Amino acid sequence: MTATPRKLFLAFIVVLLAIGAVLPGYVSPYHTRVVMGFFMFAGLASAWNILGGFSGYWSFGHAAFFGMGAFGAAKISTALGAAAGSPAAMILPVAGATLIVAVFAALIAYPILRLRGIFFAIAMLGVSQVVTELVNNVSWIGGGVGVFMPSPVPAGTRPEVFYYYIFGALLLLIILVTYAIRRSKIGYGLLAIREDEDTAKMLGVPTEHYKIASFVLSGVLVGILGAVYGYSLGYMSTGSVLRLDIGLNMIVFCIIGGIGTIWGPVLGTAIMLFITQVLLSGFLDIHLMITGGIVVLMILLMPSGVLGFFNAKRWIRFRERAR
Amino acid sequence: MSVVLQGTGVTKIFGGLTAMAEVDFTLEEGGIYGLIGPNGAGKSTLFNLITGYYPLTSGDIAFGGRSLGTMATYRRNQIGIARAFQISKPFPALTVLENVTVGAMFGGHGRGSASDIARHAIRTAGLEDVAHRHAQELTVGTLRKLEIARAIATGPKLLLADEPCAGLNPSETVEMVACLRSVREQGTTIWLVEHDMRAVTQVCERIFVIDAGRKVAEGTPDEVVNDPHVISAYLGEPAESILA
Repeated sequence: MTATPRKLFLAFIVVLLAIGAVLPGYVSPYHTRVVMGFFMFAGLASAWNILGGFSGYWSFGHAAFFGMGAFGAAKISTALGAAAGSPAAMILPVAGATLIVAVFAALIAYPILRLRGIFFAIAMLGVSQVVTELVNNVSWIGGGVGVFMPSPVPAGTRPEVFYYYIFGALLLLIILVTYAIRRSKIGYGLLAIREDEDTAKMLGVPTEHYKIASFVLSGVLVGILGAVYGYSLGYMSTGSVLRLDIGLNMIVFCIIGGIGTIWGPVLGTAIMLFITQVLLSGFLDIHLMITGGIVVLMILLMPSGVLGFFNAKRWIRFRERAR
Repeated sequence: MSVVLQGTGVTKIFGGLTAMAEVDFTLEEGGIYGLIGPNGAGKSTLFNLITGYYPLTSGDIAFGGRSLGTMATYRRNQIGIARAFQISKPFPALTVLENVTVGAMFGGHGRGSASDIARHAIRTAGLEDVAHRHAQELTVGTLRKLEIARAIATGPKLLLADEPCAGLNPSETVEMVACLRSVREQGTTIWLVEHDMRAVTQVCERIFVIDAGRKVAEGTPDEVVNDPHVISAYLGEPAESILA
């Protein structure tokens, strides 16, 4: 990228940030919620991408981390008996839930990352099913009857605006983490693992450590989002957070935008949510059918996602013509 | 001359199959060594044992006087053992420069930044023209060079090159031989598996011959091509002796 497009891109990001910062004051609560949902799902997709996109380990079970984050935060906030109306009361439960997810991910990382490809994907699906059943059936966790979380929203603030900013900040954080990884030695190592794990080993990449690190990091970021999402619901049962569609959305958004790129997951989420929640909001009876059709079409036409499509073909041809 | 690699009684048994039996070898610093033998003799197995891809059943391999034991593959690379695969295994979605940069970043031996080391390796292998192409667009000959470039970017003391000339046309073979010579001039010991006898006898100072997992001969190219064991196991009878 030459200097001018880079500057343009940075300017574009700054403008987006500025618009994002003031947006809730100008749009309806519904649209604030839509953008809040975009922040959360873009964060989830980007977090999934750190493992699935960079190291090539496609997890179909990341919903497990999301649910653990939510229920972990709920259990801790109940145990602490935190008062409502104070955002600071979120800190300990969210940090505790993050730790729970980190320990869980680190424990299952070594055995489960010995599986490759589709076997890893299916094993992670199994993990998420096990977590779902446990949360649902162990009465101490309480997923079956549901749990309440005290609202941390300060008096006088609209809840959707409060969570809008939290999810926005988290998305920003996750993008920065993704960016830092992609540019670092670890990023190169993960890409090498994705491309050919045996060769990566032969070139001195400590593959086991890197895989475990990206697995835990990816899970932890998803867990944090889950914890905050739990707060935003106020009341949740197993089915509110341990949903198969959350785990699948992360993957679909990455594929649509461009898997393994920094901006692909964000772009894919924006495209899909815009189509489903804005364009199709007036056709609730057929919107799932149309969404499914769009996903199939996009995967047929652009198997490497929107960014992959433009990077690989158009962009190279364009650059070669320009030379 | 110090010893780079020494194997004593190297043995590998897969289930009931003895793939490698009591093989001894000593490689001295700065040489180009050959490893030849018929298909299935165990050449690639031996390289897999040296790089730690398989554990030894018995025997010992020492690198720079230090026994490798059960050291992980990536650690062996970091202490200076690199390998170029027989079947090219590029990172297809990455560019040539990125492929080589991975080697430069993790090998941890060269001086200067990873991208400087990568560029130097790319020059040594003659890949400047394709540095920004994706590996999946390259021809077989160029992929072989990429294998070598990526391996030397890790800054190895020992390069195990598994048939670097396989599938190359005569002019590409000449380039590859020149490339290997320049790698050696930069101080890397090379152990070469090759079927092209002309290439082997041209570049190697000493050749090991294995057959069915056993070492059948060892010596200079001249000694080896005239060794009766080698002729019967690998090279075949000279035409005149069959006619006679």
